[in-house]
Amino acid sequence: MRRIGLSIAVVVASIVLAGCGGSSSSGSGGSGSSAPVTLTLWHNYGTEQNATATENLVKAYEKLHPNVTIKIVSQPADNYFALLKTAAISHTGPDIAVQWTGLFTLQDISYLEKLTGLVPQAALDKMKGMQWMSGGLSTAGPAYVMPLEDQFYIGFYNKQAFQKAGVSAVPQTWDELNAACTKLKAAGYTPIVYGNGGQALGTEFYPWYDSSYLMIGQFSVDQWKGLYDGTIPWNSPQVTAQYDKWAQLEKNGCTNTNILTTTNNIEQFTSGKAAMIVDGTWDTQKFTDAMGSNVAAFVPGFSDSPMKGVVEYPGDGFSIMNYSPHKQQAADFLAFIASPEGIKAVNDAGLIPDVVGSTTTNPVNQQMLDFAAKQGFTRYPMLDNVTQGNVVNTGNKFLPSVLAGKISVADALNQMNSTWQQLPASQRGSSYSGG
Amino acid sequence: MTTQATPNPRTDLPPAPTRPRRTRLHRGRSWVGLAMTAPAFVLVAVILGWPMLQAFYYSMTQWDGITATWVGPSAYTHEFHDPAFRRVLQNNALLLLAIPLALVIPLGIAFLLDTHVFGWRIFRSAYFLPTAISWVVIGMVAERFFAAHGQLNSMLSAVGLGFLSTDFLSGERTALLAVALTFAWSMIGTNMIIFLTGMATLDPHLAEAARVDGAGGWQTFRRVTVPQLKRFIQFALMMTLISAFTALFSLIFVMTSGGPGYGTTTLEFFVYQTAFAVGQFGTGAMLGVILFVIMATVGIVQIVLLRTKE
Repeated sequence: MRRIGLSIAVVVASIVLAGCGGSSSSGSGGSGSSAPVTLTLWHNYGTEQNATATENLVKAYEKLHPNVTIKIVSQPADNYFALLKTAAISHTGPDIAVQWTGLFTLQDISYLEKLTGLVPQAALDKMKGMQWMSGGLSTAGPAYVMPLEDQFYIGFYNKQAFQKAGVSAVPQTWDELNAACTKLKAAGYTPIVYGNGGQALGTEFYPWYDSSYLMIGQFSVDQWKGLYDGTIPWNSPQVTAQYDKWAQLEKNGCTNTNILTTTNNIEQFTSGKAAMIVDGTWDTQKFTDAMGSNVAAFVPGFSDSPMKGVVEYPGDGFSIMNYSPHKQQAADFLAFIASPEGIKAVNDAGLIPDVVGSTTTNPVNQQMLDFAAKQGFTRYPMLDNVTQGNVVNTGNKFLPSVLAGKISVADALNQMNSTWQQLPASQRGSSYSGG
Repeated sequence: MTTQATPNPRTDLPPAPTRPRRTRLHRGRSWVGLAMTAPAFVLVAVILGWPMLQAFYYSMTQWDGITATWVGPSAYTHEFHDPAFRRVLQNNALLLLAIPLALVIPLGIAFLLDTHVFGWRIFRSAYFLPTAISWVVIGMVAERFFAAHGQLNSMLSAVGLGFLSTDFLSGERTALLAVALTFAWSMIGTNMIIFLTGMATLDPHLAEAARVDGAGGWQTFRRVTVPQLKRFIQFALMMTLISAFTALFSLIFVMTSGGPGYGTTTLEFFVYQTAFAVGQFGTGAMLGVILFVIMATVGIVQIVLLRTKE
């Protein structure tokens, strides 16, 4: 019996250990061809408007290029990048894949093909914010992602709910936000709804939409680099002060009570039960379809003084895998995004094309574009795209519980700071690095 | 003069046993044995041995799955300074506290069933049922059971203990408690069957003799049944321990995803998260090596402690 027990222990432990092993490999190149070709494209969009935009792009491209078939594969959002990486290691992944930009790109460049020199430079030059998808997050570096759209982390509010509750102006500061919450709650609305519906990236809501505005409310866009290189520690008094005020939202009844387990937050907003939601452009069309002109965008007032910054940033796009045998055909598809037909395909899905000079037909999207273009707001990147992946993951684990009042602000921020301190020196230097 | 014979140590010793001479048949059989076991040996070496060596190598690198940079043994010391890692080890240690529950309850149930109480066949099937349910399903049911508006809180309210109601899965310690209780519950069926099987092999005369000598049910169970079941208890303990370390991934994934914070992240889950969610395969390999060492150590220590004379 003892031997059996020991044997079982050893075998199980061996399997666990063996599972951690593997082999490293490098990508192989390929050459373009005019013959019929099938490309595979992976995305993590679920049923968001980005998925519709991708389908629109593929249909339009296939119509113009009958010899090309693009097979779209929808992968689960919560472990998409893990799947992509493991597929890259075994060279069994797609030719084209959705890739998030910023540090998300830099940490994956070992299996991404450089687009510079492969996609026509004229097409790359048409896109806005290319620095965020290039080596070192600088335009001097090679591009790795062709952006799909111009994105916003943004607040949406129900005009009718504001009117009924007597909220005459969009709240721009903490005080105004808390006052609006009181009125909305008295009128029977959930002031702000949180949940993991929409962009379901985990079991709890994604805290980086709010976190971006918390840091906009405290720091200039240039100062954000301090959160990366450690000159502003995550548990510094300025950061702590902002999260303290944020954590009060739930205590003050400004949110739904079950923020960690709610999954129908999008429906609660579109049905009129909730008055505000902090979300992103990928759901704009969903909101305008359901609420018509009753929905509008606002910059969350997570600041002591009126907010003057907005998250406008090309957060995602398509990359070519460096092991793809069809790199040139994939590059041709990516260049198509910058074409008039590509712009139309993106706009028709309710997204904002990232092409310089393009417009959007969705009025709420246009309202967002006007924040920076006409109202003098400063454009900020998405905070999670310029924060180290490990810190982002720690934030994902702790920050939702902070808002739910289950973990203290100090505990959460200390954990994030501790994670930052554990990073190798190469990932917390003065210049952005993915590894 | 008489001489006393001095014993010659070389010649008076009994002849050393000589190794039986190996015949051609013996040698032939040995070669056949080696040849027959070689494929299995090669298979194990290739499938388990080589990846294990690789894992050990990569554990001392910064490896993103594609390119690896050598760090050396300092990778281990660095990891032991990580508060998250220490918290994960603490969680594993706390989960072990559920093991007595996972052993004592099924032992009691098995004892009752062994006395063939009314309806014991139905009870046996009912108690064994959790073993036939996948961890994912168990996790989903448990998630609803422990949720803020779940059955547990409803039951607490129904019996006037509503003040104890809480969202178990949203607190770090309560979530770990929920996972531990679910784990203990899910092990009841397996361990009960192990104990029931063991009890079926016991000599009934011993218990009968004890009863004749005036021993009550509890005394008989404690003084006669349990000592005879020692081997089975040891086996159940080993299986439960292994499960606690290496079989809770899907349960945790479904119930809490390792949260809140690192509240329910075990070493096994941490391996997955580090390697596949964060993309640090080198650190993931190191955590796997540490898990291997812990498992091996626990197994050996347990066997040494429970060793009894044959």
